[in-house]
Order: sequence, then C-alpha cells, then structure tokens
Amino acid sequence: MNCNKFEELLSAYQDNTLSPDQKKEFTKHMNKCPDCEETVDRVNHLKSILPELNQEVPFFLRNRLYLIGESEEEITPVKNYGYIRWVAAAIGTMVLFLNLFYFTNIFPAANKTLHTAVAGIENFVVETEAFIGRIKESNNFFIFKKTETITKSEKKKRNPKAKKKTIRGFEYG
Amino acid sequence: MLIDRYSKTVYNLAFNFCGSSDDANDLTQDIFVKIYKNINKFDENLNISSWIMRISKNHCIDYWRKNKKNNYRVELEDNLVKDEHSPEEELIKTGDIYKLREKMLQLKPDVRALLIMRDIQNHSYQEIADSLEIPLGTVKSKINRARIQLARLYEDR
Repeated sequence: MNCNKFEELLSAYQDNTLSPDQKKEFTKHMNKCPDCEETVDRVNHLKSILPELNQEVPFFLRNRLYLIGESEEEITPVKNYGYIRWVAAAIGTMVLFLNLFYFTNIFPAANKTLHTAVAGIENFVVETEAFIGRIKESNNFFIFKKTETITKSEKKKRNPKAKKKTIRGFEYG
Repeated sequence: MLIDRYSKTVYNLAFNFCGSSDDANDLTQDIFVKIYKNINKFDENLNISSWIMRISKNHCIDYWRKNKKNNYRVELEDNLVKDEHSPEEELIKTGDIYKLREKMLQLKPDVRALLIMRDIQNHSYQEIADSLEIPLGTVKSKINRARIQLARLYEDR
C-alpha cells in the first residue's frame, strides 16, 4: 500500500468499514510510515474538535425567523446599496481635501488654482445677475413682458364711450 | 414547527460556511424566506430535512461566490456551546476555534459544505448524499479528502 491509497482509505478506517484484509494492510502501512501516522493523528484531532463549532441560534435571530414564519406576505430581501456609501464617502473626502487646499497653503499651486476657480465662479454669478437685471429694465424682451387679463367690467370702465350693442332695443355684451 | 426543528441546522451551516455571525444571520433569514416562498412546491413524498439542507447549501454557495470569494474574514464569537473549562482553557479553545474557522474558509465551497454537514452537524453520509443528490461514494471521498486537507492546514500554523 502506498501513501495515496492509505489516504483514500483513511475515513473508511476511522468509520471501521474496511475489510479485514484492507485493515491489516492499512495498519501495516501506518506502522512503517511516520507521515501517514501523523496524518491519522491530525485527522483524529480535527474530528474531535469540529463538533465544537456548533452554535446556538441567537435569540434575536430566532424571533426574526418566527416573524417570517408567521407572515404570509411576500418578503423581499433588502437591496444592496453599498456602492452609494462609497460614492458618498468619495464625495465627502473630495470636499474635505478641497477645503483643506482652499483654506491652507499646504500645496500653494492647488490653493492658487482653487482661489482662481472660486473667483471665476463668483465673477460669473455677478455678471449673470447684472445681465438679467439689464434685460428686465429694457422691457423689450418677450419673456419679461407683463401680460394682463382684463375682465369685461374693467374694459367698460376703461372705455366708457364704447358703443353699446343692442338687439331690438335691448343691450347685451 | 419548521423553525424550531431546522433553524439550528441552517444557522450552523451558514455560520461555519462563511465564518461570520452577521453573514450567518442574514443567510439564515434569506434561507427561511426562500423555504416559505417555495414550500408549496415541496413534494410531500420527499424528506423535508433533505430539501432544507439542499436549499441551505445552494444558497450559501451562491452567497459565497457573489460576495465573499475574494474577501472573507472570520470573527470570534461568544455563543459557542460551552463546557466547564477554566478561563485559560476557554481562551485556548476560542483561539483554536478561530483558527479552525479561518482554515475552513480555505476549503472549496462545496467540499466545505459537505464537511460541515458530516463532522459538525453529524448527518450520515447517506443523508448528505440523498439531500444533495450526489452519489454516496463521491460524498465519502470528498469528505475524506476535505478532512485530510483541513487537518494539514490546521496543524501547519
């Protein structure tokens, strides 16, 4: 018997399901091969400690499971939105670094660029406001023209001399 | 009730499969949701225990492949079934168990599930073969190889 064959039969030996001949061969090999003997010891040790991995179900989990059992409603698993956390973290970190570079002079080049950019944005906002103001004042631009809705009574008040419409002597309109 | 009878089996498979109690909690819940959703499809002539084992094993393997394949961690837990040990012995035992769990995660997922069912949950080879619809000889040889591999990983500290 070689070591590979020995390993193949190891579980059967431990379960005591080898034939007498196989068992004899197995024991003979084990007695003359220290490596295989060690393997047997290791597997025996492993088998003795594996049952200790058994866990009791936590109390809170058992309660949650009862709720699943009682509920006949369809339960949809919670979707994984983990990536949103990463995006938020990335944006937060970026803002932090921008603040750091803007308010400190650790990296003068970055600080200068940021100040230039912020000044540019401020300038753009001021210019835009001024432009909109000018358009409003000019009163020619169609989107800012005021439109009025005049009721009939107001129309009469504004133009009292308007010819009254009559049919057979009765006024209307 | 289904939960009283099978929650421990499902939870232990999940915990020993992924090495983390948080993941095991989520997995156990997901598995029971799946069980309740598909209970109408269950053929009453079959063994419900085998059916639950198969659902649990498949769900754990899917979860592992999607989430943990390259990013797993093991955590220490304090709700092990405790015997009467001194604090020192408890500490050594906890360390051993942590190490064992860590090494178990290095086994291939399907082999790991078989080993958990046999050596931790004490199901018979025949039960495992029936529930997973795998030939008995394959189950035995896979478990045998898994034991030898894990024993070597565990002792080579």
